[in-house]
Amino acid sequence: MQQIHTSVSIEGMARGTAFFPDRSPECRGGTLSWDEAFAAEKERLGRLAENAADEMKAIFTAHLEMLEDPMLQETVQAHLQEGLGLPQAIDAAADQLAALFHEIDDEYLRARADDIRDVCRGLRRQVEGATPNPFAGMPKDAVIVSEELFPSDTAEMDFSRVRAFVLRRGSRTSHVCIIARSKGIPVLLGIDIDAICAGDPLLIDGAAGELTVWPTPEEEAAFLSRMEQSASETALQLTGPDGNPVRIEGNAGSLEDIPPVLQAGAEGIGLLRTEFIFMESDHLPSDEEQLAIYREAARLCNGKTLTIRTLDIGGDKSLPYLALPVEDNPFLGLRALRYCLRHEEVFKPQLRAILRAGADGAVRIMFPMVTSPEELREAKALLIRCRDELRAEGLPCADTVPAGIMIETPAAVLMAPELAQEAAFFSIGTNDLTQYIMAADRGNPAVAYLNDPMAEAVLRAIGMTVQAAHAAGIPVCICGEMASHPAARLRLAALGVDSISLSSPKTIGQLTHS
Amino acid sequence: MLTKEIILHAADGLHARPAGELVKLVKSFDGTSVTLSAAGKKANAASMLGILALGLKSGTPIEITAQGPREEEAAEAVYNLISQL
Repeated sequence: MQQIHTSVSIEGMARGTAFFPDRSPECRGGTLSWDEAFAAEKERLGRLAENAADEMKAIFTAHLEMLEDPMLQETVQAHLQEGLGLPQAIDAAADQLAALFHEIDDEYLRARADDIRDVCRGLRRQVEGATPNPFAGMPKDAVIVSEELFPSDTAEMDFSRVRAFVLRRGSRTSHVCIIARSKGIPVLLGIDIDAICAGDPLLIDGAAGELTVWPTPEEEAAFLSRMEQSASETALQLTGPDGNPVRIEGNAGSLEDIPPVLQAGAEGIGLLRTEFIFMESDHLPSDEEQLAIYREAARLCNGKTLTIRTLDIGGDKSLPYLALPVEDNPFLGLRALRYCLRHEEVFKPQLRAILRAGADGAVRIMFPMVTSPEELREAKALLIRCRDELRAEGLPCADTVPAGIMIETPAAVLMAPELAQEAAFFSIGTNDLTQYIMAADRGNPAVAYLNDPMAEAVLRAIGMTVQAAHAAGIPVCICGEMASHPAARLRLAALGVDSISLSSPKTIGQLTHS
Repeated sequence: MLTKEIILHAADGLHARPAGELVKLVKSFDGTSVTLSAAGKKANAASMLGILALGLKSGTPIEITAQGPREEEAAEAVYNLISQL
């Protein structure tokens, strides 16, 4: 066996067989003129752009623009006038234009050199006549080993057979790497591929930047168990600024919601709403009644973390037997934790039940709608009082359950550094946070344009919250609807959010399986 | 022929998207050619490759040269677009 390391890679783990694409042209000699080759390539790229999906479509459209760029044509013509043959003139133009981009002091623009060379390669193939698909005859578990790869290559390969890319040249911002990331394929760049032969068994660890050629059976067994262990993490396309994957958890609004999200791959329940217990009952549920439900929830979680949010009523949610006061401005009124702190007869049975469920389960408690550190302190003090009472009554309960808070108010964002000293974790409720930051009711269509979780003000608030949390060493989760949008998820990951909690088992499945 | 000078203020320099807008704009003045010069390099403003290869950064002085029947209009439009980046 031999191990090769690189510092430039895209995360993911794979085992496969080395496959070298066949780059040799089938027939030689300039068979097409410039005009013919240009027209044929334009037609081909147009077809690719039309049929490709999202990410690839934009890339092929950009390639089409490059093909039609006057500078490309002028450069090829200049080399033709120097007496070069058409294929050589195209190669020379590719080198010359790519060199221009290589000099630019900007990583993104430098990576565009690959696109130019890809366009020129397509032209050259048109001039020289058809070449066979370089990816024909790939094994079922192909690790593509090549000097470099081009975006158009990815249109020609059967991705169901591709496990990884191992390349000598390329940058993380190249289009090939963007495509690989979107497909969850690990990539190693800057590898001395001369050390690899076609058919070699390979192990690729993208996160570690490690390639193993001809692993020993022991190495392979250890690798496979590691791969299985982190399967859900490595398949994740969401990684934070530190390169760590974003944890995916599930939201549940009832016991029935728990199994589907866990089966889909959620690593825990990031939010169990408890309003259903109160709404399905015609009286205030006792701690015994609630305990049965929390125990069942913890049993369904089977060792995975269960985060129980305490009663979030008020605002737009009320309960017939609680006789909540009528308020002019319920969203700015006595809701959630504010209500619970004022009504211990409602709050204490829930805290007792959660503590008792915590005796034999991985249970966390989460307080909604916190505005000040005093509120959190008060809630935690009540939690301790409940524990002492349970002990005095001889009822088994957890010594403590990790107590975190929802960050939903601008005040909580501004006080996040202080709150982080006292909370075990933060969970950002983006629906309410957006509404309060933007001062725009999401039910009011006239101001719906303001109620945007991607608004810069909201993103900054999330960023501030994450910074404060990380400075204090506690994690941040997102449990609002915002996380159900792919573009928003990428922004959240980039902001450093540690986990996101989603309601849709389908989305969870997509994010946790490649 | 008409020449105008401008300093690029866009924080990210002249990236792919604004360069694309610029190309589209210049192409709309059919028959009038526009050249950008900066730091000793020259580029046809109808060429995305050319513009990107200039590697223009924030704070770079750019010379806009227009030649053709609508040179005045073209130079003005390019000037306005760059000043708004």
